[in-house]
Amino acid sequence: MAAVTLKNVVKRFGVFEIVHGANIDVEDGEFVVFVGPSGCGKSTLLRMIAGLEDISGGEIAIGGKVVNNVEPADRGIAMVFQSYALYPHMSVEQNLSFGLRMNGNPKADTERRVKRASEILRIAELMKRRPRQLSGGQRQRVAIGRAIVREPQVFLFDEPLSNLDAELRVQMRVEISRLHKELGVTMIYVTHDQTEAMTLADRIVVLNAGNIEQIGAPLDLYDDPANRFVAGFVGSPKMNFLAAQVVGNDGNATLLELANHGGARLQKPLSGAPPAVGAEVVLGVRPEHFFEAGEGDCDIAVKADVAEHLGSVSYVYANAGAAPGANAGPEELIIEREASRQRATGDHMVVSIKAGQSLLFDKSGARIR
Amino acid sequence: MSSRSASSRSSSSRSSSRLGRSIALHLFLTPLALIWLFPLWMMVIFSTMPDRGIFSPSIELLPHGSFLDNVNNLQRDTNFIGAIGISVSVAVTYTFLSVLLTSMAGWALARYQFFGKGVVVAIILGTITLPYAVVLIPQFIMVARDFKLANTWVALIVPPLFNSLGVLFMRQSFSMMPGDLFDAARVEGVKEWRIFLFVALPLARPMLAALAIILFLASWNNYLWPLLINSKPGAMTAPVALGTLIGLTKVSWGGIMAGAVMLTVPMLVVFVLLQRHFVAGIAAGAIK
Amino acid sequence: MRYQNATAYRFLAPYLLIFSIFWLWPIINSFLISFQATRTVPWRFAPTFNWGRLIGDPAFFNALKNTLLILVIQVPVMITLAIVMAVLLNSPLLKARGLFRFAFFAPVVVGEVAYSAVFRLMFNLDYGIINKLLNSVGLPRIDWFSNVTPAMAVIMIAVTWRWAGYNAIILLAGLQSIPQDVYEAATLDRVSKLKQFFYITLPLLKPIIVFCAVLSIIGTMQLFTEPFLITERGGPGGGTETLGLLLYRQGFRSLNFGYASAIAYTMAGLAIAISLVQLWLTREPK
Ligand SMILES: Nc1ncnc2c1ncn2[C@@H]1O[C@H](COP(=O)(O)OP(=O)(O)O)[C@@H](O)[C@H]1O
Ligand SMILES: [Mg+2]
Repeated sequence: MAAVTLKNVVKRFGVFEIVHGANIDVEDGEFVVFVGPSGCGKSTLLRMIAGLEDISGGEIAIGGKVVNNVEPADRGIAMVFQSYALYPHMSVEQNLSFGLRMNGNPKADTERRVKRASEILRIAELMKRRPRQLSGGQRQRVAIGRAIVREPQVFLFDEPLSNLDAELRVQMRVEISRLHKELGVTMIYVTHDQTEAMTLADRIVVLNAGNIEQIGAPLDLYDDPANRFVAGFVGSPKMNFLAAQVVGNDGNATLLELANHGGARLQKPLSGAPPAVGAEVVLGVRPEHFFEAGEGDCDIAVKADVAEHLGSVSYVYANAGAAPGANAGPEELIIEREASRQRATGDHMVVSIKAGQSLLFDKSGARIR
Repeated sequence: MSSRSASSRSSSSRSSSRLGRSIALHLFLTPLALIWLFPLWMMVIFSTMPDRGIFSPSIELLPHGSFLDNVNNLQRDTNFIGAIGISVSVAVTYTFLSVLLTSMAGWALARYQFFGKGVVVAIILGTITLPYAVVLIPQFIMVARDFKLANTWVALIVPPLFNSLGVLFMRQSFSMMPGDLFDAARVEGVKEWRIFLFVALPLARPMLAALAIILFLASWNNYLWPLLINSKPGAMTAPVALGTLIGLTKVSWGGIMAGAVMLTVPMLVVFVLLQRHFVAGIAAGAIK
Repeated sequence: MRYQNATAYRFLAPYLLIFSIFWLWPIINSFLISFQATRTVPWRFAPTFNWGRLIGDPAFFNALKNTLLILVIQVPVMITLAIVMAVLLNSPLLKARGLFRFAFFAPVVVGEVAYSAVFRLMFNLDYGIINKLLNSVGLPRIDWFSNVTPAMAVIMIAVTWRWAGYNAIILLAGLQSIPQDVYEAATLDRVSKLKQFFYITLPLLKPIIVFCAVLSIIGTMQLFTEPFLITERGGPGGGTETLGLLLYRQGFRSLNFGYASAIAYTMAGLAIAISLVQLWLTREPK
């Protein structure tokens, strides 16, 4: 077991800087998920930890030892790849034991480790098969088994579930969680799927275009995002962003006028310095934080376009329509409703926003607290 | 009702136009194919005819029974069986070494980042269109005069080991494989040459087969270099030995044809059996 | 990918070693030799000795003329034929595809010596099957090897026979890499098969056709075995002597390495020019 520390880690491909100085502390035994949109540099970061990519700047330490110039095999890590990367010409058993055999590990020990992995993952009956004779879920288990066999201090996962169908994905998610509890080792897990991040992680690292936007526990990110990017990325369906303008300040609250809702106003208490009067800001409201008319601090009228009925809840896609003279375009809002109170499309409805359950951002996306 | 008959009429006119095109296609292609097969057919026929049959005014298009006599005639004119032995040994050795060399080089180009990679690739691409004539003379001077290797197997095998199309083919093959596979082995601490031997090469087996066939054929049929460097009777390859007879006056043409058949027919059999690999190997040079 | 210089060069080493010894040094050396008088011992530096001789040598211009003549006629005929073969072999209407493929592709495995012998015999004046067949349909027989024009024709026929299928294989693979739905879309747009060929197939195949043409030109430019064996050392009277054959005569019969190297570099110059034309023809539109 080991902690993983990234200090000012930079990655350049030629002249393109892909990772701009990442600082991450993964504690011993922790499950940390790197999440971010595709192409933001998650895999690159993970591959640098694994030693599969050179580190252009900064320092990576595993278990307190700087590993910048240590070969992948000597870093005490194991990695599970998105494509599973099973050797197609070897049986499951040979896949599991290949690395150990190639390094002259004693035969009895190799057998013991393979047996243990196959028991943990319940793949004992598949040992003689070739990868192409396995289902997606089974291949995934073998790929994880190959990591377990190494008895590593740190597990690295690169989008391991993205090739599975929705149902299997949920099942394997639970299984990876179980594995983490059982083995108790450090795990670093990369995904673009925020649901996976929320359900698996002790802590989440949100990445965007090579920058770390925020690091924190899943619900902290959800409740208290550092900026508009994190707020929009974490949570499904996404947070709604309503254009607004500051029309007044009194001591510890600011008065906002929503740009697209016919002059609707909201008094929003702040703990820090309020923005200047006249500033354009953005109000973030999660779909589940719309209330019945009159129940909140500010009512707005919208027109429902489409409703998705999921059974337990319904999501109404509503159009605010740009008000005359408004300084922003029309906004599409997603509103969560209880299933019993679903609206037919085309209906006009009035919903209410609470100051305490909304977030304020400035034009650049930074949080105003 | 009426719409159904209309649609069946249009589909029958479509199928009759297809039939017409099909007939035209076969009427054109069949004679062309026969013309193309004709030289090979005549090679076989000549090889079964006695010399006075070949040089007679009658038209002979069917096989006779003198093949073994012709082989004997050929063996009397030159030690063809010995030359075949040399050709086979050289081709087998060359194929093995060349497959190894080209796949190692292709692997390096496909799977590593290294200083000077662009230069190496430029060299390989550049030599594809460079006429062999440019290196022929210094190569000959070096091998024959400086290394004193004329009339040896080494002379036949080593200089042709440089092979650009093969390297490009293997580079292509290796870079089409998923890189995660090799990274997975790397993370497991498998040494690079073992990754190459035990992961990459087994996965490249069909491509290696295609490459091996093409290289074997190239060596088997190679003429100019062996003609220059191994010209001593006991050291000649089979094509060179056969070539020395063409143009001589007192020579058995039935024998020459028997030799041609012995050089050609085994390759034709291999071609029929392994056509897919053959075609893949040849096409790979051009299709990215 | 990480930078792994040592590992990469270990894998490249044997190949690069062979390259340096048997190609890189000879390429340089050949250039140097072309500026030396090589029939004196020791060789001496004489920059204009070979190149001066080259520009005034009728044998060189004869070989150059013959080579270019073969290039200009044989390569276009063969490439056209190869395209026809490939397109027809690719037709879904074709029956017995395997037999046709065998017929056209089989020459690919036939060695130069073997087929040169057969062609020589087939075109024999008195006993060749070609003349016998001409006679049997009432045509006069042709003295193929005593006159330049028919001798050239035999060379071109032989080379075309040997290499058309080879090019057809490459072109066929190219055809098969064109997605089928392009044709389906064109068919729905009522584009005739012939127009599909000219407006879809040919443009998409162009880079491969150019590649085939360049390989064929460079191959034909070095033509040696056919005039050496079929037309008996470039006969009649040098009428089929090619640059390849002249190089052989100068280099390995007269042991005039300097002059032969100058001829070799002339061929290389032609090849480079042709490659540049290829690059220009297949350049990506800006
Ligand atoms: N070998 C490479 N050369 C150049 N750019 C690369 C290379 N690998 C990745 N990139 C670029 O780095 C960025 C991050 O890639 P990656 O880490 O794979 O993203 P993610 O895993 O978050 O989807 C992308 O813009 C990608 O195009
Ligand atoms: Mg990725």
